Amino acid sequence: MDEYKKFLADRLLSDEQPITYRLLSRALGIHVNTAKEMLYDYHTYQNGIKAESIHATYVVYGTKTQNNTAEDGDVEMSSSMPEHEPLSETVPTTTLALVGQENLEAALAEYQEVASIHVYSLAPGSQRDVSLLYDVAKSLAEYTSKEDPLTAGEKYGTIRNLNVTRRDRQARPKPGASTSQPTKAQPAKAQPPKAQPIVPIKSEPAAAKKPSPFEVAAAAAKLKKQPTSQTPSSSETPTSSASKPAPALKRGGSGSIMQSFAKAKPPKPKPEPKKEEDTEMALSDDGEADDEDIAQEKAEYKDSDAVRKSRKQREEELRRMMEEDDEDEKSEEEPADEEMEEAPEPEPEPEEEPKEKEKEPTEVTTTTTNGRRRGRRKVMKKERVMDEQGYLVTIQKPGWESFSEDEAPPPKKPAIGSSVSSTPASSGGKAKKPTGKGAQGNIMSFFAKKSYH
Amino acid sequence: MVSLNDVSGSLLHKPTDSAHSVGTRTDSQYKPLTTYNLSHQRSYQQQYGDMYFLRLTKIKPAVEEVAAAAWEGTTIGDERAKQVDRVLDVRQGELCWVVGTVYMNLQNKPNILEDVSKDRWISRPDPVHKYFKEDETEEIMLEDDSGRVRLVGDVLHKIGLATGCIMAVMGTENSNGELEVIDVKFPDLPPQPERWALSSQSGPRGNGVKKVKGEDQEMSGQTGGKRKKLAIVSGLAFSGSDASYALELELLLEFLLGEVLSPDAQSELSEISRLIVAGDSISGSDVKPVTEEEKKNKKYGYDASAYNAVPSQLFDDFLAEILASIPVTLLPGSQDPANSSYPQQPIHPAMFPNAREYTNPPGSKEPGWLDIVTNPWEGEIDGWRALGTGGQNVDDVYKYVNSEDRLGMMEAMCRWRCCAPTAPDTLWSYPFQDDDPFVLKDCPHLYFVGCQPEFGTKVVSGPAGQSVRLITVPSFSATREIVLVDMESLEVTKVKITTA
Repeated sequence: MDEYKKFLADRLLSDEQPITYRLLSRALGIHVNTAKEMLYDYHTYQNGIKAESIHATYVVYGTKTQNNTAEDGDVEMSSSMPEHEPLSETVPTTTLALVGQENLEAALAEYQEVASIHVYSLAPGSQRDVSLLYDVAKSLAEYTSKEDPLTAGEKYGTIRNLNVTRRDRQARPKPGASTSQPTKAQPAKAQPPKAQPIVPIKSEPAAAKKPSPFEVAAAAAKLKKQPTSQTPSSSETPTSSASKPAPALKRGGSGSIMQSFAKAKPPKPKPEPKKEEDTEMALSDDGEADDEDIAQEKAEYKDSDAVRKSRKQREEELRRMMEEDDEDEKSEEEPADEEMEEAPEPEPEPEEEPKEKEKEPTEVTTTTTNGRRRGRRKVMKKERVMDEQGYLVTIQKPGWESFSEDEAPPPKKPAIGSSVSSTPASSGGKAKKPTGKGAQGNIMSFFAKKSYH
Repeated sequence: MVSLNDVSGSLLHKPTDSAHSVGTRTDSQYKPLTTYNLSHQRSYQQQYGDMYFLRLTKIKPAVEEVAAAAWEGTTIGDERAKQVDRVLDVRQGELCWVVGTVYMNLQNKPNILEDVSKDRWISRPDPVHKYFKEDETEEIMLEDDSGRVRLVGDVLHKIGLATGCIMAVMGTENSNGELEVIDVKFPDLPPQPERWALSSQSGPRGNGVKKVKGEDQEMSGQTGGKRKKLAIVSGLAFSGSDASYALELELLLEFLLGEVLSPDAQSELSEISRLIVAGDSISGSDVKPVTEEEKKNKKYGYDASAYNAVPSQLFDDFLAEILASIPVTLLPGSQDPANSSYPQQPIHPAMFPNAREYTNPPGSKEPGWLDIVTNPWEGEIDGWRALGTGGQNVDDVYKYVNSEDRLGMMEAMCRWRCCAPTAPDTLWSYPFQDDDPFVLKDCPHLYFVGCQPEFGTKVVSGPAGQSVRLITVPSFSATREIVLVDMESLEVTKVKITTA
């Protein structure tokens, strides 16, 4: 009987942690309503020993007295429509309020009817901030992580539902495993832990520094993700606890999320110290490597270290990479760009395109340097304007457009090779081109070729 | 005034030895419809014009019927009103009536023609509060496939109109070529199906869950079943950064699970047989808008580090926990990770790694315990035909009219027989080709719209005895309110959660 008092004393007085009825119910495995009563009992008991040592927060649920209407309990009236209809019917409103003990009397005075009241939470006398209760609520997952919510609910007094349908857990891949994406780095990373559990993870950060920026970034990402990708592999090792129940796995995931989010001081479940270990194990499925303990510890240390270091790096690295790429792209695209401009135009009517180009005396080549021709040519440009009546009109206008493109390759030159090359200068230019432009250059020359035949 | 001693359901006493009972939730008879589901292989090549044509074709007969009944034989002066088939057939000086689609030209309304001619191709519309401007002149036009005519007349300003609704107008064309409107008619509410039209009343009921509920049975009368309630909530806005209502969300969870409160109240909570989440479950405020500067550095304009997974994880945990006790229907809203154009398709279950085991495997015909649905969504809950949206349809009509009466707009949409009239003009929409699903074929019994600034409800009735319960569901993150609907009487109550 007094067990819960001891638990509450530990929690509230020694650890100075607030506790809600839900957490108490989970911690002791009892019905929530019993937990509410225990909180009340302990509150009176402890404050009897030392006044103001424990602060209680209550839940008050009921109908508040309406300020504007004098009607007493006549809320049902709302269904019959008044003559001058307001925009909305007024409907009965029930209020569920959290009230600190110091405001309880005042709060109750606002109510017309209170349907239920109980202690929601207790906190050490100094803590009156209800927002702390959210952290408590979120730490609940640590207690429930191993339980199937459907069966556990009955113990705690959750309203059960007999019609729940749920998919078979075993039938589909676990969420952790499914998120890991195969990258080039993966095979190398996933295997070492199996062969030599301790060494490889250590060496990873060092190894990761050498390769190109991309790989560093990838490695950093990898390190963070590693645990997930390791889950499948680790389940093959005999030492790992492969028989972990699925619910624990999933709950653990949520637990770690909550913690990182709320940064709650993790409440210590005193009476069941073993449980804490369990939850940590559960967490580890999503959060840490799952190998032998030693390996795990070291890996953990190294991991977090590397992650911390590389997180900063990663952004830098990524940015640099992007810039480089952009530059590359620019230089790649530059020659192609202007050609591309004309390409989209004829796209809708590819049939006409050759014809137009065939009767193309409208081209003035001004320079030919290094195998590239620059000049201006006449094209039909489309222009959309709104006329005075508000209609959109598309007009085709002839216009001049400057261009620069490869010299039309001599026919079949690529097939025969360098033997037919016309001038040394142009062939030199040619030889460089493919490296820069790759396949794209060929497509462009395909267009150019057509225009000359 | 209540003092501590009068509270009946108090748990402020020493723990008793008697075991507390565990409530059993009433079951929910539920049959979702797939009216707004789009094919997975859908094409976006087609033009929007078909939608207007389809809508007019579908609704025109109903309006003509109403108009003929009202105006047949009307004489003004010496002239008898007669119907003309096409807008272009309206002759100057002749009293006539004609049916067409309303087109509103408002000062602040986005204009696609203007955008195209000025070469603006932004992907995100400017958030305009109202298209309507108090002192600006608005142009109202009536159009069909033949042409359009400008409408004038005081009667138009007394009623709210929005682009895309179908109406009949009676009047004469004046010398300016404008139609001077004397009267207008709308199609009014569509036929309403009977209760239990789709699902059978004797669905799978829990065995051996009979509770002592004598009084309730007498009260609910008609069907003799247990009282049932439907909970509707919207705008949960789970957020990674704003924790100001996180505790309220936790209380909501405990409320839905029936863990909070005392035994009597808990057994009341077990009457809530289903939860509908009507949009905006995930906060959009966590997403930083990408500035031009940033954009330049990112490939494809995407930056993985800007993505914050916390909101959807929180929501997933919330769902996974309540699903053990209560079935959920989830509609997407404007902030949710679904497509932004109407009809919004279901949020992908992959967003919910924990909750998704309650969904049904793809391809299964039965509705899932967690039913992730479209927005708008139509279905039958406990026999009542329900229509629900995430709120964008009302928000958009709201921009057209000089009014704050959102329930009135919902009513108007029912009477226009179109639940998204402003699609595809200002409400982004899929270009439907064969059918305009926004046209209401069946009148719902319950029509709820999520993510609204405040709660409101009323009942509207139609000429053929239809009766629709309209509800604007407020955003929980702003008001901390959830709506409960009694599934026998369709009476509405709400619950407010405060932690102040």
